[in-house]
Amino acid sequence: MAVSQPFGFACTGGLNKNLNELEILKIPGAARDLINYEVDIDGGYRRINGFLPFGYPTHTRPDGENKILGLTQYLDCVIACVNDGIYITQDGVTWTQINREFVHTGGHLTDNLTLAEWNAGGTAPTGHGSAPIIVRTNQGQCSFVFIESTGHIIILDGVNAPYYFVLGGTIGDPLANRTFHGHTIADADNQRVGAATGVIYRTQFITHAGNTVYIAGIDDPEDLTSASTGSISLDQNIVAIKTFRDEVFIFCNNSIYRLINVGDADSQAVVPVTQNVGCISAYSIQEIGGDLVFLSPDGIRTLAATARIGDVELSSVSRAIQPIIVNIAKNINEYNISSEVLRSKSQYRLFYSKDSEEREDSKGIIGTFTGKGFEWSETIGIQAPALASDFDELGVEKSYHGDNKGYIYCHDVGASFSEGSITEIFSIPSTYDTPNFDFGDLGTRKTPYSVKVSVTPEGFMQPTLHVIYDYGDVNVAQPNPYLLSPASSPSVFGISQFGAGSFGGAANPMILQPIQGSGHTLNFKITTNDTAAPFAINGLYIDYYPSGRR
Amino acid sequence: MSSTFLDLTNELLRELNEVPLTAANFESAVGVQQHVKDSVNRGYFDIVVDEPQWPFLAVDESGTVDPMYGNVARSTTEGTRWYDLKQAATHATDYGSVDWDNFYITTVGVTGETAPYVGQNLRYMTTEEWKDFQREQENVDDADNKGYGEPKYVIRSPDGRKFGLSPIPDKEYKVWFYAWALPTKLSLASDAIVFPEIYSAVLLAKARYYIWQFKDNPQHAAFALDDFKKGYRSMRSNLLEPTPTYFKDDRVRYI
Repeated sequence: MAVSQPFGFACTGGLNKNLNELEILKIPGAARDLINYEVDIDGGYRRINGFLPFGYPTHTRPDGENKILGLTQYLDCVIACVNDGIYITQDGVTWTQINREFVHTGGHLTDNLTLAEWNAGGTAPTGHGSAPIIVRTNQGQCSFVFIESTGHIIILDGVNAPYYFVLGGTIGDPLANRTFHGHTIADADNQRVGAATGVIYRTQFITHAGNTVYIAGIDDPEDLTSASTGSISLDQNIVAIKTFRDEVFIFCNNSIYRLINVGDADSQAVVPVTQNVGCISAYSIQEIGGDLVFLSPDGIRTLAATARIGDVELSSVSRAIQPIIVNIAKNINEYNISSEVLRSKSQYRLFYSKDSEEREDSKGIIGTFTGKGFEWSETIGIQAPALASDFDELGVEKSYHGDNKGYIYCHDVGASFSEGSITEIFSIPSTYDTPNFDFGDLGTRKTPYSVKVSVTPEGFMQPTLHVIYDYGDVNVAQPNPYLLSPASSPSVFGISQFGAGSFGGAANPMILQPIQGSGHTLNFKITTNDTAAPFAINGLYIDYYPSGRR
Repeated sequence: MSSTFLDLTNELLRELNEVPLTAANFESAVGVQQHVKDSVNRGYFDIVVDEPQWPFLAVDESGTVDPMYGNVARSTTEGTRWYDLKQAATHATDYGSVDWDNFYITTVGVTGETAPYVGQNLRYMTTEEWKDFQREQENVDDADNKGYGEPKYVIRSPDGRKFGLSPIPDKEYKVWFYAWALPTKLSLASDAIVFPEIYSAVLLAKARYYIWQFKDNPQHAAFALDDFKKGYRSMRSNLLEPTPTYFKDDRVRYI
């Protein structure tokens, strides 16, 4: 007589689209679908946070219904590039346009205007120049170079000349009490018109336009003529420039170079790192876990430093989600790519969306850097052609994203997708799909009796459990989805309020669900589509009876 | 209210921890669900095959035409020997069983007949006996004088579809007999079992026997078969043998 058999597994490994149905059984905790979950660094899969308009509920758009092209945290403000302008705000409610050509009469970068003078534009205040709007025609996707030593910022859009901006005054004071200075970096021969990315290497501003790298003078991003400056042309267009471990790397579509002897005009040169691997999006490059990650045609790769001086190692970290990456690479010209690192979660997030897509169809991938490398998941419903994550003036990590409709959002907050255009709050649809388990013997019919789901709730949660037999075979009766018993985060004495918490609750409860049906394989899918608080799924335990081979 | 096909199937499905069916998806059941449905019908047929003369299979109640015993009547025609047991039937739809010991012929109820009426039992005669002693002269008479006569014997056709009368009837009579229908397979979700619900456990036990064999669990199957046998004995005793049992002894002792 058959006896009850147990089968349990922990949720670990992340999304895996690469392995076939049988190979994936070697890592039972992996997911065939993991949408709007993130791999929790504390273990398990956590339903992601949502987003909220920056400045909610009195939030405004910088420039109407135009796609956000770039976002960055700058001092105690947020800078947004949209349409043909650049804007700054402290609160997401009031936006000040900063793409003005300050024709200064005083010293370079020491002549500033007050907010009123800045906004006056064409007016030339006594002792100062005018600051008319300089239209950033056909502004493309933007990147930002922050000069930490001076607090200045350079904005590059891949079309126009780099734009130089300084917000003076005391950090934390309102903009009305601050000073403004901004102008385009005008080269004699417009060499750096069209610069897309740049870095500050030691004290020199390095950027690129077309296939040429430009190295500016020491402490002077506008200088291209002094002895320490220079330019180097490559045989292919440059995608991006990044610094890593005190070195400058130049990414092309199919190769990577290293810039050596920067500052010595006679010996500075480019040295190939590889001529078979390149980067297909400048906006995918981030540093995480001590490595540089970037999107290449064959996957997300890392540029990792080795123990040897000047040596790097290239490896692919996205094999598990190769089909997704292949799709992105094939359609790279149609997608708006943006990326960020959430340091508190050790996460690399990359979003890709088309201009024609609605928010609910826009996608992204999240890679959590664990002790076993990157573990992946997907997002749906976050449209982020512009993305920024940095520390504010208080040292708190903040993250923002902008969408195609011109709204700026606080990223990774809340429990819903709150669009800026309307007051309606959208649910976060999430799916965790396990492999099709055969419990070690594909030929035996199994009759499961119950499933226990281990969760870590952060508030009220009530997901739905789907049980699917025999790969969803239409000739096998499939049970209706089960609405699991609700769970809440436990109440803590001294903190929780009566009537608002779950007294006597466990921090990591096991939700028991009796299930019906039988089959040769078993697959579970846990879904939610609500605005409930996030929760983590730690693992599943199944109690089943094996029967015959029919 | 009797249990329906849906009720019986779902009782077994719940016991197996399988997904129950609804009235909406009952017809389109697949896999284990369909096997359970099939097993219910197999169990039902097993009960009937073993005993075709269950009271609940009777074609009609006795005494519908009082005081006649039989529940089926056929009218004879002068000069016709053979009559269908069940009219407009095929081999697959004929009666399941006929009581050949209880054929009765009468002129009561025949149009134009008055007292004194004919009324007598028809003795069952085997075809062997009929062939040896009756057939030859009856066939010659039918071809020649057509005298015919009042039937005294009933014979069964080898194909089991007709009864024959001997002698060949010389006028119209009514022949009464008792028949039981073939069982009808349960098909729709709302189809109800035709026997008292108290005995549905017997049917379920036999269905369970087949299902546990499918599940490769011979021990559970043996338990189910044992339950079926016990229940079947009770069912037979209560439905077929409820009357007191007598033993008739016709021997005469001369002292």
